[in-house]
Amino acid sequence: MIDPQSREVWLYRAAFVGAALFLLFLKLLPLGSEPGSWPGPDLLLCMILAWVVRRPDLLPVALIAAMVLMEDLILLRPPGLWCALVVLASEFLRSRAALTRELNFGTEWLLVAGVMLGLLLTYRMVFSLTMLPQPGFGFALIQTIWSILCYPLVVLVSRYAFDLHKPATGEIDSFGRRL
Amino acid sequence: MAKTRTGPEEYSRPLRRVLVGLLVLFLLAIFVLWRIDSPRVERFRAALVDRVVPNLDWAMAPVTAASKMIEGFQTYAALYQQNQELRRELQQMKAWREAALQLEQKNARLLDLNQVRLDPKLTHVTGVVMADSGSPFRQSVLLNVGSRDGIRDGWATMDGIGLVGRISGVGERTSRVILLTDSNSRIPVTVQPTGQKAILSGDNSASPPLEFLEHPDVIRPGDRVVTSGDGGVFPAGLLVGQVALGTDKRLRVRLSADYERLEFLRVLRSHEIQPIEDPGTLLAVTPTLPQPDVTDPGSQQTTPDEGQPTPNIVDGSPEVPSD
Repeated sequence: MIDPQSREVWLYRAAFVGAALFLLFLKLLPLGSEPGSWPGPDLLLCMILAWVVRRPDLLPVALIAAMVLMEDLILLRPPGLWCALVVLASEFLRSRAALTRELNFGTEWLLVAGVMLGLLLTYRMVFSLTMLPQPGFGFALIQTIWSILCYPLVVLVSRYAFDLHKPATGEIDSFGRRL
Repeated sequence: MAKTRTGPEEYSRPLRRVLVGLLVLFLLAIFVLWRIDSPRVERFRAALVDRVVPNLDWAMAPVTAASKMIEGFQTYAALYQQNQELRRELQQMKAWREAALQLEQKNARLLDLNQVRLDPKLTHVTGVVMADSGSPFRQSVLLNVGSRDGIRDGWATMDGIGLVGRISGVGERTSRVILLTDSNSRIPVTVQPTGQKAILSGDNSASPPLEFLEHPDVIRPGDRVVTSGDGGVFPAGLLVGQVALGTDKRLRVRLSADYERLEFLRVLRSHEIQPIEDPGTLLAVTPTLPQPDVTDPGSQQTTPDEGQPTPNIVDGSPEVPSD
């Protein structure tokens, strides 16, 4: 009934949802997080970008939007803004899937780093446009740098824990089409 | 290329682009709505958080407990070291505690010395104990106040709480206090509830015995002992101590003053009881009645014997009997 490849796609999506919930859960844990400590990386963003670069077909836009919007709401961020930006970034990378497929990891990392920095700048620009109070630029930059540094780690974990990789030449999807 | 995904996506791509654009617009609209009408969105957010986060409680509890256990293990590892540190700190704390106790008592005594609850007729001079007589047979201390401060022989000396002794020997700038425990000390006292008079005679022990009691049977341990003022030596009503039954079945007085730490003593300026020499001036307002003048002074002269050394009697003021 359900062919193995289609099931694999849904398994990946379930794994993504589970990982995103787990990350959210970690952030909600009442441990540490005293004021003034340095912010950690945004692992969910790393994960979304890494997965979109590798297998854009596994992460539909709706799923990304739903997860990030939930994170927005629960982590008391302004709802919708970060979500919209992440959706735009994922669409940006998704539309360049044919390009990123050919890139080696260093170049991909640079591309993702640029996307993350662009996200940060746009986010803060919208904040100042709407006259919202925001943390210091250095603080936000530290989080982005952490995310950039953690990106290879997330890729590694995705590769070996979820067996997520760029489609090799000749791989076919569930409909028998070449990826 | 014809068999790749681009085939069906030829149609879905524009639609998809529109849908993504709509999604982004929707998200931005949420943001703008939140910016404009923050309370409503925040209420929604609060409801969502309220719904979601408590459900994570079951998951959070073990994780939190585990992390605390890890912290606990880390402390167990350092337990011996911690124990040593605590012991060291405890030693220091004991020293501090002792210092605090001493300061507390000193403070209480000083406070007590400052708040005079005695008869306002009695003023006092506070002196510091300079020296103790080291001999076991002479219970006396030296104060740093003397005749230049107006100290005279025989005045009563108290610490903050009770009677300590009396001045016996005044120098220029020092004076000696014979304590109640000295074997030469004889003080007329009253045992409070029954009003019996007695003599407190020191015998070089910590609790001097009561002597010359009329009815020792009616006196119970715990009764208050105050000075009686008999003989005009001391003002009446100064607290001396409590009656206690000694091991030798004698009634003794447990002194209220803290003899262990005599540091600040106050010397009460007793007004000398002036002898009444001119009986006619007291009540004889009109000299036309010579007969009562003869009898009344006799009745007045009995009052000092009742333990009421009221020196104002001789002032001749009519308000005196109301005192």
